[in-house]
Order: sequence, then structure tokens, then C-alpha cells
Amino acid sequence: MAAIAAAVVLPQIFTSGVSQNLAVVALLFAVVASNWDLTLGYAGIFNFAHVAFFGIAGYVAAIATIHLGLPVWWDILLAVAVIAMLSGVTAALALRLRGIYVALVTFAFVQLCVALIVSQKDWTGGAVGLVGVPDLEIAGGPLGADPKNYVYLSAGLLLASTFFLRKLVASDFGLSLIALRDNEAYAVARGVSAMRQRVLAMVASSLFTAAAGAVYAHYLIVASPDVFSFSLTTLILSMTLLGGTATIFGPILGAIALTVVTEQLAGFGVIRFMIIAVLIVLTLRFLPGGIWSVGTHWVGRKASKSRRSKETGSLPQ
Amino acid sequence: MVSILVAGLVSGSIYALIASGLSLVWGALGVFNFAHGVLLMMGAYVAWWVSAPGGLGLGLLVGILACIAFLILAGGLLYALLVRPWIGTANAELTVIMTTIAGAMFLENAALYLFGGRLKVLDQVVSGTVSIGGTAMQAQNLLVIVLAPLLLGALALFLKLSKYGLAIRAIAQNREAAQLLGIRIERMYLATFAVSAVLAGVAGVMIGGLFNLSPGMGSDPLLRAFLVVVFGGLGSLPGTIVAAYLIGLIEAGSSYYIGIYWTPVVLFAVLITVLLVRPNGLLGRPA
Repeated sequence: MAAIAAAVVLPQIFTSGVSQNLAVVALLFAVVASNWDLTLGYAGIFNFAHVAFFGIAGYVAAIATIHLGLPVWWDILLAVAVIAMLSGVTAALALRLRGIYVALVTFAFVQLCVALIVSQKDWTGGAVGLVGVPDLEIAGGPLGADPKNYVYLSAGLLLASTFFLRKLVASDFGLSLIALRDNEAYAVARGVSAMRQRVLAMVASSLFTAAAGAVYAHYLIVASPDVFSFSLTTLILSMTLLGGTATIFGPILGAIALTVVTEQLAGFGVIRFMIIAVLIVLTLRFLPGGIWSVGTHWVGRKASKSRRSKETGSLPQ
Repeated sequence: MVSILVAGLVSGSIYALIASGLSLVWGALGVFNFAHGVLLMMGAYVAWWVSAPGGLGLGLLVGILACIAFLILAGGLLYALLVRPWIGTANAELTVIMTTIAGAMFLENAALYLFGGRLKVLDQVVSGTVSIGGTAMQAQNLLVIVLAPLLLGALALFLKLSKYGLAIRAIAQNREAAQLLGIRIERMYLATFAVSAVLAGVAGVMIGGLFNLSPGMGSDPLLRAFLVVVFGGLGSLPGTIVAAYLIGLIEAGSSYYIGIYWTPVVLFAVLITVLLVRPNGLLGRPA
């Protein structure tokens, strides 16, 4: 709840251009990280394709508006639809495999997407990216006229996404995912279809990720292959793990914390990535449940048992 | 035709060196080292720094020896810092992916900081060209094609015959039983990581002699090595080697006949097709 409240209050606090930019990036990455947590933490699928969904959605939005002349806003819906299909197909193929194979194949999938995108220069702008994604419009005027609008838009997206994810994980569907993660044989014996639920989980987690990717492209006015880089994948995955998996709120907290830390360390140049790497390893070593687990541990004395069990169920089995 | 074959065999040899290291660690420890590509990069940089006039200028032989010594150390350190603390925990498999990714991020940026982003050139182990069947090829290419199978053969013999090799294979099959027999697991794990790192370093020196050095030079070969180990079956050394040469040849053939940009698509299509038929890879054991 605190994270949502923060998301609403953020635009009021961050009034300068730099901090507004920071807020938009943090909020959009929070959407990606928390949706990733649905598959990683709750469903126990170690997929690397998530950042590709974010990046490809940006390209779909850019191509739809620049090459096909689709009105803005509609391209975001198109991006969500395309990514939902893509994630369904990817999941149906990758989830025939087990454990480490899923991680490796989806990792390769991302890299091959990049190779394909960079090679189709006419459509995607090659290595430079597709520049000139039109600004979103509201009441006939460009949304970017007041940068605060993008903060509100991203915050709204995060709110909607968080509401969706919380409802989802508490539903029968969410419980069946957790059951599959914790004891697949037992869950299947109880009549849960492992394949169908996991593919659906991948599709569900891709929806808001795609919307965030499309908004990100509109915000930056460019869809660029940088989005697929190993360092961004690492960064967003770190947000999910540092925040705490299988919590939804943890990755949101992780995204905001890491974005701020990265920004604070900007003056250090390449050394900042070395510092972040050390932070990641230290957190995994000493806080295996993530930052969020510290908060739940504090209130843990008074909290119910269900809350405490969340702390321990950190990573997928 | 011969040049396609040569290109395929060269990349196949290099992939085999990298992938067998990955596969070895997976077989013994059950974890996956995402920093393997960075070890390759570091090997190339150490060899360059010790050998080239821009660094210490001690010549290539000293450079290669230093590279091997450095990687034994680096492999051991990597294991001690990024792998050992999580071995035996419930989620070791996934946590170690994260810690080694963080390690890769650290080391890649460290190389960028120490050596800068400008491309470096490593001397070739052998220079000049050789003519085989009317086609001229770089002598270095021939060296790679000959040396890789020799090294991998030595590795296979080591695993098959030596006391250490038997111990590593025993651990891979049943950790507790191996421990009961008095095998010192910790030391074996350390040795496995060191051997795997040295294989990556040799691959780094080879690549360094054929292409330029850059802090990101390890990521592309590592990606191919991922494809190779999945394709061949994780933990199976013969599968890995067969898959490495297959991938190398498919890659060379498709970039010649279909175009270099579609090569990744072809590779991925082949991979998916194989996995749909054999979910554990060509020669892999069921999980």
C-alpha cells in the first residue's frame, strides 16, 4: 500500500525535470519488475524473455504509429495484443522444457530478437533505433508539454497493474500457480493443468509489461535496441530479486530503490555498475528474501501467519 | 565450400571449448555460470596485457602462461565468492544465475575501467597463411581446428581415467555417496571451476587472435555456448562437442547461403525443433 501511495504522491514531490524523468523510469520499470515477479516468484518460471516483451512492445507501438499511421493510444492496445500472442507462443514452446533449460532458451530468444530487429533496418531503424515516435495526446494537445503528465500516466499504469496482479495472485488462478510451484505432482493430481496455467501466467504477466514498453517508447520518442541490453535485463531482474520475489510489492520497492541508487551513483561512471553488482550479491547473501522481507519482518510479530509464510517463500523452487 | 567448412570448424571448435566448460560445471555442481563469457574476455585481456608492447611486452608465450595461471585463480575466486555460499540452499540453481550475472556485470565494467573501450589486438599464436586443397587460410584458424579437439580429448581422458576425473563424475552422479567415500567435495568443486575457467581462457586467446578484444567480447560466444549446451544436452560432454560443431557449421552455412542477419533465426528454429523432439537435447539425460 505504501508503494501505491508513494506512486500517487511522487509527482508532487518530484518537481524538477531530472527527478520527474527519474520518476517515470522508476515507475515503468516497477511495472516490468512486478509483472516479472508473477512468473518468477509465484509461478516459479525462470524466464528471461520478459525484458524482450517490454522492448518489442516499444517497437510495435513505434512501427504502428510511424509506418502504419495508427493513432496514438491505439498503438498501445495493439502492442499489448501483439505481445500477449507472442508471449503465449513463446511460453507454449519454452515451457515444454524444464528448469534451467527455460532460462537458457528464453535468454537466447531475447538475443535473437535483438539480432532480428537490428537487421530489419527499413522497419526498425537498425542499431540506431526507430526515432520520432509521436507524443501521446490528451484533449488535442501533446502529453509531453507538461512532463508531469508522464509521471501521472506511469503512476496510473503501475496502480492498475498492481491492482491486477494482487487480484490475480489472490484468485483461484494465482493459488493454482503457487500450488504448481510448490508441488507440481500434487497439484496436477488435484486436476490443475500445469501447461495451461503456466502459459496463462506468462500471458497475464506480459500485458502490463507491453503497455509499459509502449508508453516508454512514446516517452523517449524512440524505440531503441538498447532496451534489450544485458545490463538492462540484469538491472530489472535485480529489482525483482532485491525487492523480494513472490511479493509483487517487493519488486516495485526494488525498482524505485535501484533507480534512485543508480541515479545517485551516476557520477561514478562505469564504477557504478560494479557497486550495484556488489550490492546485488550482498543482498542475495544476507537478505535472501529481498528488501521487502525486512519490512514484513518488522511488522511480522503482529502480522498474521499468512504474511509470515510469504517471507520464507522467497524464490521459486 | 572449403571456406565455409573452415569457418564452421573454427567457430565450432571455439564453441566446444566454451560450452564444455559450462557443461562440466553444470554436471558437477548443478549450477550455471553466466560469468563464463567474462572469464573468456579476462583471459584474452590478461594475455594481451602481459604480451603486447602496450602492456608488459613479455611476448605471447609468457602471456598465455600468465592467462592460464590467472584463470585458475579467477575460477577459484569466482567459485568461492559467487557460488559456494549458495550451494546446498533450496534455490541454488536460480540464485547462482543471479550472482554470476552480477559477477559478469562487475568484471565487464572493471575491464572497461582498466583498459578502456578501445579495441585491442592480440598477436596470433601462429602467423601467416596455409594453403589446403587450393584454399588459403590463416594458420591461426588451422591451429584452432587442431588444438580444440586435442584439448577436449585430453579433458575427456582426464574425466574418464584420472582419480580427479572419477571423483568429479562420482560427485555429478551422487553427491552424498561420493562424500561418504571420502571425496573432498569442496576441493573438487574448486578444481572443476578452475578447469572450466582455463578452457574459457584458451578460447579467449583464440578469439583474441582472430578478432579484436573488447570488454563485451565474451557475451556473443557465451550466447552460442548456451545454444550449444541446450542443443547437445546439459552435462553430456559428447553431446556438447557434437552440438558445438553442428552449430558452428549451421551458422557458417546459413550466413553464406541465407544471409548473416537471418543466421540467429535459423539457429533458433533448429534449436526449437530439436527440443520439441528431444526436450533434454541431442544426447542429454532426462532431468
